[in-house]
Amino acid sequence: MEKLPLGLALDLRKVVPYKTGSWRTLMPVNMMQTPPCTQSCPAGNDIRGFLRVLAEKQDYEEAWHVLTRTNPLPATCGRVCPHPCEAGCNRRDFDTPLAINCSERAVGDYGLEYNLKHKKLISKRKEKVAVVGSGPAGLSCAFHLTKRGFQVKIFEANSEPGGWMRYGIPSYRLPNYILKQEIEKILELGIEIECNVKVGVNIPMDHLTQHYNAVFLGIGAQMGASIKIPGEDAQNVFSGVEFLKLINSGQIVEIGKDVVVIGGGNTAMDCARVAKRLGANVSVFYRRTRVEMPAITAEIDEALEERIMFRYHTNPLKIITDEDRVVGLLCEQMELKESDASGRARPVPIGDSESTYPADTVIMATGQAVDYDGIEIRKQNDQWISTNENLMTSIDGVFAGGDAVLGLETVAVAIGQGLRAASAIEDYIEGNLESQLSPPPVIYSKDLNTYYYTHEKQFSKKAVSIHTRLKNFREIYPSFDRQEIIKEAERCFSCGLCFYCGNCYMYCPDNAVKISPSTGKYDFDLDFCKGCGLCAIECPCHYIQMTLER
Amino acid sequence: MNEKAEELNRVEKKDLFGSGHRACGGCGQALAARLVHDAAGENTIACVATGCLEVFSSPYPDPCWRIPFLHSLFENPAAVASGVEAAYKALKKGPVNIIAQAGDGSTADIGFQCISGMFERGHNVLYVCYDNEAYMNTGVQRSSFTPYGAWTSTTPMGNPTRKKNLPLIAADHGIPYVATATVDDFRDLQRKVKTALSIEGPKYIHILVPCPLGWGHPGELTVKICRLAKDTGLFPIFEIIDGKVTNVKKIPVKVPVEEYLKPQGRFRFLFKKGVPTEKVAEIQEIANQNIERFNL
Repeated sequence: MEKLPLGLALDLRKVVPYKTGSWRTLMPVNMMQTPPCTQSCPAGNDIRGFLRVLAEKQDYEEAWHVLTRTNPLPATCGRVCPHPCEAGCNRRDFDTPLAINCSERAVGDYGLEYNLKHKKLISKRKEKVAVVGSGPAGLSCAFHLTKRGFQVKIFEANSEPGGWMRYGIPSYRLPNYILKQEIEKILELGIEIECNVKVGVNIPMDHLTQHYNAVFLGIGAQMGASIKIPGEDAQNVFSGVEFLKLINSGQIVEIGKDVVVIGGGNTAMDCARVAKRLGANVSVFYRRTRVEMPAITAEIDEALEERIMFRYHTNPLKIITDEDRVVGLLCEQMELKESDASGRARPVPIGDSESTYPADTVIMATGQAVDYDGIEIRKQNDQWISTNENLMTSIDGVFAGGDAVLGLETVAVAIGQGLRAASAIEDYIEGNLESQLSPPPVIYSKDLNTYYYTHEKQFSKKAVSIHTRLKNFREIYPSFDRQEIIKEAERCFSCGLCFYCGNCYMYCPDNAVKISPSTGKYDFDLDFCKGCGLCAIECPCHYIQMTLER
Repeated sequence: MNEKAEELNRVEKKDLFGSGHRACGGCGQALAARLVHDAAGENTIACVATGCLEVFSSPYPDPCWRIPFLHSLFENPAAVASGVEAAYKALKKGPVNIIAQAGDGSTADIGFQCISGMFERGHNVLYVCYDNEAYMNTGVQRSSFTPYGAWTSTTPMGNPTRKKNLPLIAADHGIPYVATATVDDFRDLQRKVKTALSIEGPKYIHILVPCPLGWGHPGELTVKICRLAKDTGLFPIFEIIDGKVTNVKKIPVKVPVEEYLKPQGRFRFLFKKGVPTEKVAEIQEIANQNIERFNL
C-alpha cells in the first residue's frame, strides 16, 4: 500500500469525479425538429438546410444541392412561387419573415450560372414509367423517379417542354431561358422526352398502360372555360389560356386599344399585364372585390402598380359586336351577399345597373378545365381527376398529380405532388405498402427562446421602374446581390436545429455539455448531467429537449 | 489595444472547476464559480469560505477543483487571502491570481470586518461574492443581502429590511475596481473577472446567483431569473472604476417586478390569488429608485 505522508495530501490528477448523473430524473436530448417553413412548403423543401449552408459556409453550390433534393426547379420557383414558407416563418412573430423566395432564386440562379449538375445514380432498374405532360408535376415526378433508378419517358403535347410554366407564365415573371436551362438539367439525368405527342390523340392511353409499369398523368388544366354570354364567338374574344399560349409561342396578336380582362385569378392577372405590355389600356372586370380574388397578392399589387384598372362588382352580360368584331361590353353591377360553398361572398346583381364599356378585345380568364380528349378516367365533380390518397387514379397503375387533380394550384404544389407520386409509384412497382416516414413535430414561435436573436432588416427585392418594365417583356426583378442573400440567410432562426450558439456549453452548471471529439458537435455527458433543464430552456431554437430518463 | 479588448471579451471554458460537484440541479453558484475560475485561468489560488460552494465542491476524496484550493472559516476568507498574498510577497514568488470568495452571509455579515480590513490594507486580491440572498447552506436563514419582502426560514412573514448595498460600500473604501454581474451574461462576467485581475490592488465583484432551492424556482429558470432581476432594475449591473460608476448596463425593455417575483416561491405570499399585495408596489418602488439612481 502506498505510504501516505503525514497529514492528508490529495493528488488532484488522480481524482475520479463523483458521478452526479445518477441524480437525474429528466434527461436532455438533441432532437432535430421540423421547421415551420418546410412544413408550409408544398414541395417540402429543406429550407432551413439550404439557408444554414449559406449562412455557415457561404457555399452556394452545396445550398443548390440541398435545395434540389426535393425541388428540381429552384430558379423557377424562386420567381413564381407565392412563398407560403414565408408566411410560416417563425421570424414573423419577432420582426419580419425571411426572404426565402429571393434566397431560393439566388441559389437557383447560381446553379444555372455555374452549370451545376444533379447527382446521377449509379445503378438503374429495368422498370419503365411513362410521364404524360412536362409541367412542374410531370418534371418533378420524372426527376424523382429517375433518381430512384427508374427509366422514365415523358410525352409532351406541345412542341417544347415546361407545360404551363412555358406556355402560361409570361416571360417578365419567368424568362424562358431560365426555365429551359432548368429543364435541360433534369433531362440530363437520362430522361427521354417526346414532344408533339398528345396522349389520347396521337397515342392511345392503352398503349402506355401496356408498355410501361406505371403511368403518371400531369396533364394540367389548360383548356379555357368561358362563361356563356352572348357574343362570345366574336373574333376578338379570347380565353385567357388561349391568349397566353399565343403570346408565349411568340405569335403576334392584334388587341387594339381597349382590352377588358374578365376574372380575378392568376391567369387574369397575367393576361392583363401582358396586354398592358402590348400597349393597350387594360381593365380587369371582376364580380367580387379584391379580397375575394384568387390571384396571388403580389401579382395583384404589381398589376395595380402597372396602372391596370380594376372594376369590382362588375359582371359582364353581353359582348356587343359589330360585324363579328368586339366593340364593347354590357355589364351589370353586383353586390355581395352571404358566403357560398367556396367560402367567398356570393355576388348578387343589383337591378337596373347596366352600363356599357368600350372594348377592342375581351379576354375571358374565367376558369380552366382539364383536356380529357381520349383519356377515360373517373372524375371528381366532373372536373378534376379523382385519385386515392396515394395519387392513384381509377385505372390501376395510373397515377396523377398537379393542376389536373387539385384544380388551379401553384408550381410548388405540383412539384410536391410529383414527388409524392414518385414515391407512390415506387411502392406500387415494388409491391410495398405505403412507406411514409412521419416527420418530426413542428417548431412554433412559442417553443423558441428569442432572447438570443437580434432584430435585423429584411432583404427586399427591387423591381425595375414601371416605365421601363412596361416597354418590354424582360424580367421585372433583376438578379440579387449574393452577399446580401448570405446576410439574409444569417437571419434564419434555424428552428429545431443546432447552430452552435454555445449556450448549453457555457450555461451548464455541471460542465456536462462537451464538444464531441468525433463530430465537433455539442454532446451531453450523462455521467454528470443532473437533468436541471437549464440548457433546454436557454436553447434558442428548441433543439435541446427534456425527456424522461431512459 | 484592439487585441487587449479581444482578449477581454473572449469566452473561456477550461473546466478548472470541473464536473462531479454536489450542487443542486441548476445551481447558479456552481455556474458562477466555473465562469470565474475559467476566466482567471490556471495560475490562480482559490480561498473559499465555508458555505455552499465549499460544501458541494470539496468533499474528500473527489473534489472538483483543478486549481489550488484553500478552505477558510466562515468569517475570514479575506484575511486568509491577504495572508496568502503576503506570503507570496515574502517569498518573492508570483505573480499569481488570488481570489477570495464567499457567499453573501460570509461577505455581508460574518466576514465583513475581514473584507473591510483587506480593502483598507490594499492587498492585491480579488474578492468575489456569490450573492444568493440568504444563508442557503444552513437552511435559508436571512442575511443582510436578503431583499425586502423575501421569505426565509427566519423571516416567515417576509424580510422587513432592505438589501445592504455592498458594492457601493466597497467602492467607498477607495479600492480601484468594483463590479456587479449575473450568471446570465457570461461574456460580461468573464470580462469583469479578467479586467479585475489585470488591476493591482483589492478588487470586488458581486455576482447574483439564483438558488433554485432557497428561492423556490425550478433549476431550469436560473438564467431567466437573473435576466429578470436585471431587466426589472432590482439588480443593477455596473462597474466602479476609481470611485466612478461606469459601464452601467442599460435595460433594453423595462419589466414590472411582478414578472421577477411570480416564478419564485420565496415571494409567492406577496400575491393573494394572483393579485399583488401592497408589498409588491414597495418592491417596485425599490426598483424605480435603482433605475433612477444608476440611470439604468
